[in-house]
Formats: sequence, C-alpha cells, structure tokens
Amino acid sequence: MDLFLQYLANGIVVGSSYVLVAVGLTLIFGILGIVNFARGEFYMLGGFAGIGLATVLGLPLIVSLLGVVAFAALLGFLAEQILNRQVKDKDPTNSIVSSFGLAVVLQNAALLVIGPQPMLLRTDLSMVPVEIGPVYLPLQRALIPVAMIVLVGALHLLLRHTWVGMSLRAMAQQPTVARMCGIRVSRVAIVTFMTGAVFAGVAGFLMSSVFMVHPLIGNMIVLKAFTVVILGGMGSVTGAAAAGLMLGLVESMTSAYLGNGLRDIVGFLMVVIVLLAWPQGIFGRNLERS
Amino acid sequence: MTRLHRRQALRLIAGATGATLASPAIIRAQTPSELKIGGMLPLSGPAAIEGHQVLKGLEFAVREANAAGGALDREIVLMVEDDEANTTRGVIAVRKLIETDKVPFIVGTYASAVVIATMQITKEYGVPLLSGGSTSVAATDANEPGNPWFFRSWPSSVDQGLDTANAITDRFGARTVAIIHDSGSYGYSLGDQVEQVVKDNGGAILSRDSYNAGEQDFTTLLTRIRSEKPDAVYIGGWAGDGAMIVRQATEVGLRTQFVGSGSMVSDDFIELAGPASEGFAVATLYEPSTPNVYGAEFGKRFEAEVGQAAGTLNSLGFDSTSIGIEAVRRTGGTDSKAVSDMIATGTADFPIVQGPEGATAAFDAKGGVDFPNFIAVIKDGVRTLA
Repeated sequence: MDLFLQYLANGIVVGSSYVLVAVGLTLIFGILGIVNFARGEFYMLGGFAGIGLATVLGLPLIVSLLGVVAFAALLGFLAEQILNRQVKDKDPTNSIVSSFGLAVVLQNAALLVIGPQPMLLRTDLSMVPVEIGPVYLPLQRALIPVAMIVLVGALHLLLRHTWVGMSLRAMAQQPTVARMCGIRVSRVAIVTFMTGAVFAGVAGFLMSSVFMVHPLIGNMIVLKAFTVVILGGMGSVTGAAAAGLMLGLVESMTSAYLGNGLRDIVGFLMVVIVLLAWPQGIFGRNLERS
Repeated sequence: MTRLHRRQALRLIAGATGATLASPAIIRAQTPSELKIGGMLPLSGPAAIEGHQVLKGLEFAVREANAAGGALDREIVLMVEDDEANTTRGVIAVRKLIETDKVPFIVGTYASAVVIATMQITKEYGVPLLSGGSTSVAATDANEPGNPWFFRSWPSSVDQGLDTANAITDRFGARTVAIIHDSGSYGYSLGDQVEQVVKDNGGAILSRDSYNAGEQDFTTLLTRIRSEKPDAVYIGGWAGDGAMIVRQATEVGLRTQFVGSGSMVSDDFIELAGPASEGFAVATLYEPSTPNVYGAEFGKRFEAEVGQAAGTLNSLGFDSTSIGIEAVRRTGGTDSKAVSDMIATGTADFPIVQGPEGATAAFDAKGGVDFPNFIAVIKDGVRTLA
C-alpha cells in the first residue's frame, strides 16, 4: 500500500509536468486555431535561459524565474509575428508547416550556440525531503504539482475574470463577431502567443532541475504535450489538466506493475480508447453547430 | 620602345602568375621534408564531443613524434578530415586522404558504421585504418582473418560487456541483479549479455526493464527496484540516460551498487549525475592512475601540455596514431601496403598506454588487441582504479 501511494505521487508529479507544457499549446489552438509544433523549443529555451541566469550569472532563483518569463514572452511575441501575422491568413496549414520550420531553426541554433551537452539546474532543493505519510519526494519534485496548480489557477482566473480573458474567450468562440464588437484581434493573438510561450518557458525552467535540458529535448516534450492535448480535447484548459494528470498516473502504474518498457504503449493505447469513445477528447467541445 | 617594355612587363607578370599557380600543385602530395598522415573523426554532428577528444590524442602523438625527430627524417603533418559521423562524408574523407594527400595510414573513426562504410575503400587502396574509437565487433569481423587492414588496439564492445558483467558477480559479489537498458540494439544486446553472464556465474536476475533513449522520468521504475532489494543494478545505455537514472535513484532512496555500460566512462557523466555518481562502476581502457607505467607517464605529459587529465578517448587516439607512425619508421618507407603488414605483424613489442602494465600493440588475426578492461569506481567525483 505504501508503495502504491509512492507510485501515485510519482504519477502526479510527472502528470503535472505534462499539464504545464500542454496548457499553453491547447490555449493557442483553442483561441487562434494554430497548432504550434515549435512549442517544445520554447520549453527547451526556457530551460537553458533559466540555467544561464541562475548558474552562469548566479542570480537568485526567483529573479531567474522573472528573467525566464520576460524571455519567453519575447519569444512568444516573435513567434506570433512569424506563425500568425505573416502566414496564417493565406492558408491555415501554412502556420503548421512554418512552426515545424521554426522548431528546426531553434533546435539547430541551440546546438550551434549551446552545444549538444545535456544540462541540469543545480539547486539546494534536490536533497531537501518532503514526507507526507509514507510518501517521500525531494522538494524540487514536490514543487512541480504546486507550481502546476498555481499557474493553471492563475490562467483560469485570467480567462474568467479579466478583460483580456474575456476578449480571448470571445475570440475562441467566434472571431468575426468578436472583431465586430471591437476586440483588437491582432492584440489578442499577441497576448495568446505570449501567454503560451511563458507557460512553456516556465515549465522548462522548473523542470530543468529535475529533468535534463538539451537542444533536442523539444521533440519529446511536444509529443507528450500533443498526447495530452488530444486526450483532453483540443482547446480545453481543464481537459489538458485532467488528461495530463491521467497520463502521468497511467504511465506510473504501468511502469510499476507491468514493466517500464510498456509505459508508452499503454499511454497511447489509452489515447486510442479515449478517442474511440469521445472523438473530441474528454473535455472537447462538440464542433457541430445548428 | 614603349611597346617592348609593355611586352616585357606582361611576360614577367605571366611568368610570376604561372609560378604561383603551379607551386601549390607541387606541394600537394608528399614532399621530401614532410610526411603526411591521415586523421578522420566526427568534428561536427552528433559525435562531435567525442571526436574532438580523440583528436587531442592524435595531435599529441604527432607533436611528440616530431619532437623526437619525426619519421624517415621528415616532419609529420596530420591531415584531418571531418566525417560528421556520417557514412557518406566518411567515404569522401577517406578518398581525399588517400588520393590527394597520399597518406600511408589513416587514424579513424569514432562511429563504427562509418568505419565499416569506409573499410571497402581502404582495402581497395591497401591503406591501413587504425580505429579512432570504433569498438563494435562488426568492424573487426569485416576484416579478412589473417589479413586485417582495420586495427583496434583495445578490446571490442563484446569483451567490454563481458568484463563488466563478470565484475558484477565477482568483484562486487552481487547475487541478485536488476537490469535496466535502453530499447535500442546497443542496450538490448548489453542486457542479454549481462543476464546470461550473471546467470552463468550463479546469480539471479530480479527484474529486467527497458526504456526509450531520452526518457526523463525513472522514479516509479526505481521505486519498484528499491522494493526488490537487488545487490546490484546494471544500466545499459547512453551516458545522459544513465546519469538521470543514477540521480533519480538517490532521490527515491535506492542505494545499491550501480554498474554501467562503457558509454558512461566520460567525465560528462560524473558532471551530470553529480554526487549521485559516487560508487558507480564502469569499464574503462585508460585512467591517469593506471598501473601501466608507460600509460601513467603519458598521462602526466598529456596533462602538462594539453591542460586536461587524459581519458579513454585521448589515450586511444594517442595509441592508434603512435602505432601508425612507428610502423612507418620500422618499414622505412611510405608504401601503405608494407605499413599495413608491419602493423599486423611487426609491432607486437610496441607499448600502448591503454590497458594493464605491459600491454602492447600485438594485433590478433582479426586486427584487435585483447586485454581485460579496468573496472573503475567513481570516488570523490573521479574514476578510480582499485
């Protein structure tokens, strides 16, 4: 039983990390209808930026975090200029293809500038134990679910209760009507991209103390993020949160009781079953309109 | 008068241009004062880190040989080509070194796939190839037994796996072992080998798990292994994944003897795994603390001149290059076929820095040299030989 609780805790930690990377992806898709494959690279650059600020410049972690937020926001702003402003109006598939291109450019730029060496953020938190009953976690791992709840909660409040959130939701529901009501579509697009990139960058920074960061890490990240987004329903933040946790738990239990080699297989089997039962994902919107 | 002057001037210019254009062609091939030797390594691409470390060994060997008077009364010049760990690039690099630079031998390369792709060409031209890190048995197996032209002056990956597996039961006295390996062919074959050897030595395998290379989270797997209480855990895979497993093992409180595959011999592994790497065991061909006196002296000279402690990759580059140069000296000429025969049979007394005291470049019929690998244990962040 104690072991089961430990597996559960591990699953929640890993699931929370999936949620963090998937939320921004689903946000951009839900509001702008853009599938951004360069998302894993935002995660990777956020991780490297954080390691650079915290270890090379020796800044305190909280200052580094703010630095990563600013850096990721800038990345999001630039990505919007490329993926949304320039190409999207001509053909929606353009932005998908160019996001692939952006991913390749960012990966290779990181390889050239930073090199292929994996890196880890070293903190004093790794050996501080957190014990909840029989469950044991190092502090830096225990902080991941906390950060996930804080960030997803903040996003939820932003979407529900602020003017920016309302215009974002209006855009998601009906862009043309939103435009007629006086919402500046271009500004909404920029805000969406910046929010999404900040989520990915912060996730990269938080995770860099637990998981390694290297220039090609984005490929793995984007794959998991897409699994979560499809599972939860494209465009649904709640769905991404639920699906991320679910995937983390299923993977952990598979690895514990069936063998680690089966973990990805069982994960994808779950996606297939969910999609057969709910083609829109668990929390997906039904796109049929009267 | 003016016209004549102009013609003379033109003739002078033409003559001068002709001379400068012609001269590079003359110095392209071997010259009486220079002896060109070939080096082919991945200096960019996925194996660039390893390639640059091996290159330091090559360059150091050439510097030392020149300080001792070069070879055949000529200064040795190292011609280096980048193969990008890519078979197509490797074939081009080998052709360039043989056809343009006319080198008597080539040291290269790190990736076994590239070695195998280029072996056909070097065989055709009769130019010997001395490994620049390639360890796979597939390369030495591609040699014609009794007539090798690819040479590796250290044991193959199979021998290395065997030495490591034996160390688990013999040196560390483990009776129960858990195996973790990546799902690629490298990890799988190592997993099979360790399972077999441990069972043959009377041990038991408690569990065997695979993971995808690059996987990030091993905590649940390691928690389960903790509950199995194994005497030792074997990890077969790339250095980055191995470092993650060892780190996360300390996080979940799994404390046991960890033994890793040969790829985890680098200092980068220790850097990534941090304090969690203490006690980790790995097979190695060379450490500066080696009991091999010739090797220990090489380590001191290398560190003094290059400014970093010598490792396995530096030492194998040094050995391959030194053997090639020695073969040229003993042959007394640059005929590549004669140099190849000399390496195959005539350098058995030539000392190498890798391996135990007294190891020499005594190649077997398939072009390999066999000696037991050292099993190093990481202590205070440094690999130490017992």
